[in-house]
Amino acid sequence: MERYQRQTILPGIGTSGQQKLLSSKVLVVGAGGLGCAVLPYLTAAGVGTLGIVDGDQVELSNLHRQVLFSEQSTGEYKVLEAQKALNAQNSAIHVNTYPEFLTENNVDNLIAAYDLVIDATDNTEVRYTLDEGCRKEGKPMIYGSIFRFQGQVSVFNYQGGPSYRSLFPAEEQSLLNCAEAGVLGTTVGMIGMLQSNEALKIILGIGEVLSGKLLIYNMLKNDQQIFELGDPKEQTDQKTTEKVTLVSPEDALKEGTLLLDVRELGEIPVISIESCIHIPLSVLEDNLSELSKAKIITVFCQSGSRAISAAKILKKAGFPEVRAIRGGAPQLSQIEKKVKTHEKSIS
Amino acid sequence: MIRVNYFGNIAEAAQSDSETLDLETVSVEELVDLLDAKYGIRKFQFQVAVNRKIIPKQQSLKLTDLDEIALLPPFSGG
Repeated sequence: MERYQRQTILPGIGTSGQQKLLSSKVLVVGAGGLGCAVLPYLTAAGVGTLGIVDGDQVELSNLHRQVLFSEQSTGEYKVLEAQKALNAQNSAIHVNTYPEFLTENNVDNLIAAYDLVIDATDNTEVRYTLDEGCRKEGKPMIYGSIFRFQGQVSVFNYQGGPSYRSLFPAEEQSLLNCAEAGVLGTTVGMIGMLQSNEALKIILGIGEVLSGKLLIYNMLKNDQQIFELGDPKEQTDQKTTEKVTLVSPEDALKEGTLLLDVRELGEIPVISIESCIHIPLSVLEDNLSELSKAKIITVFCQSGSRAISAAKILKKAGFPEVRAIRGGAPQLSQIEKKVKTHEKSIS
Repeated sequence: MIRVNYFGNIAEAAQSDSETLDLETVSVEELVDLLDAKYGIRKFQFQVAVNRKIIPKQQSLKLTDLDEIALLPPFSGG
């Protein structure tokens, strides 16, 4: 216990607090800039079991901010390199490694053995998956994310508190691709530090947890603001009334309903199925007269998010039978190709 | 005068972290429409906070002189 003496003498911690840290299990998803800041501090503090999930290998361009790695780490799995560094730092703790990416299929298994999850990902899709898994299991998810010189931190799904999805509904996701925005090591370092600080507070039961709140830090101005989230119940209710039925591309084609492509002009692959009409989402509301309310309409786009937005517009306008395709044009195009090859081989 | 603070990619679209708008009475919804016309903010995912409290975007809540508005997009880097 000598090594932890300087923290156990703090009010609210003591040897019982240290025991809590040693018996706690924290999963860190992402061993990039945020993960590299979170992990060594949890290790040093004596968090007994750490899990690290990341399917990436270390690249030279990671080294300016991912400070657990050395030049010799390049080409190696991040989780294994991180494990090496953390084992050397504190031999008394267990570090479990998962050299894979978190998906809908493995999320439940990955989080099952942990009390607390740290979202150190750089990807919104993965974040929604992780958030949903944590919400179902009632496990707190400590969110951290950055945009250039600004960072956000919050704790979701904490003691029934709001989820990430209730703050930022997935259906509203930006249509624009998020280009590589650039990042300074100290920015991810500071946000990761705030995340590990929330983790220690939750484990020790001290201070105010950032649940129901969103903290934004501007590194260029040293300005920190905390925003209060609205009532999650209100927002969930709103969501259920707008629910859109999702169908798989296979089922959509089998059922032979009217297909509506809401991608903008010029997006590929082109879908040339007979029963398919094309009205971009941006002009959909002005062209509703082209559609018949007597037909079942199945909407698709590239990935599904615009299809859901379009389906909501149609429902609001009084179209009784509207569904959206899970996935989109790339999957439809593949099925189309398979059918064509099949037809050729028959003839 | 209403103060609007921008964050993340919305600050980039507005080319500013903050501005003061010379508006008398305007609702949250009207303000979002106005800023969309100016900067095309609706193409981003974001939440609106009035005096550091996040509220629904469709709100007809009238803003007053001393209100501080913030447009909060999610970040995704890590």
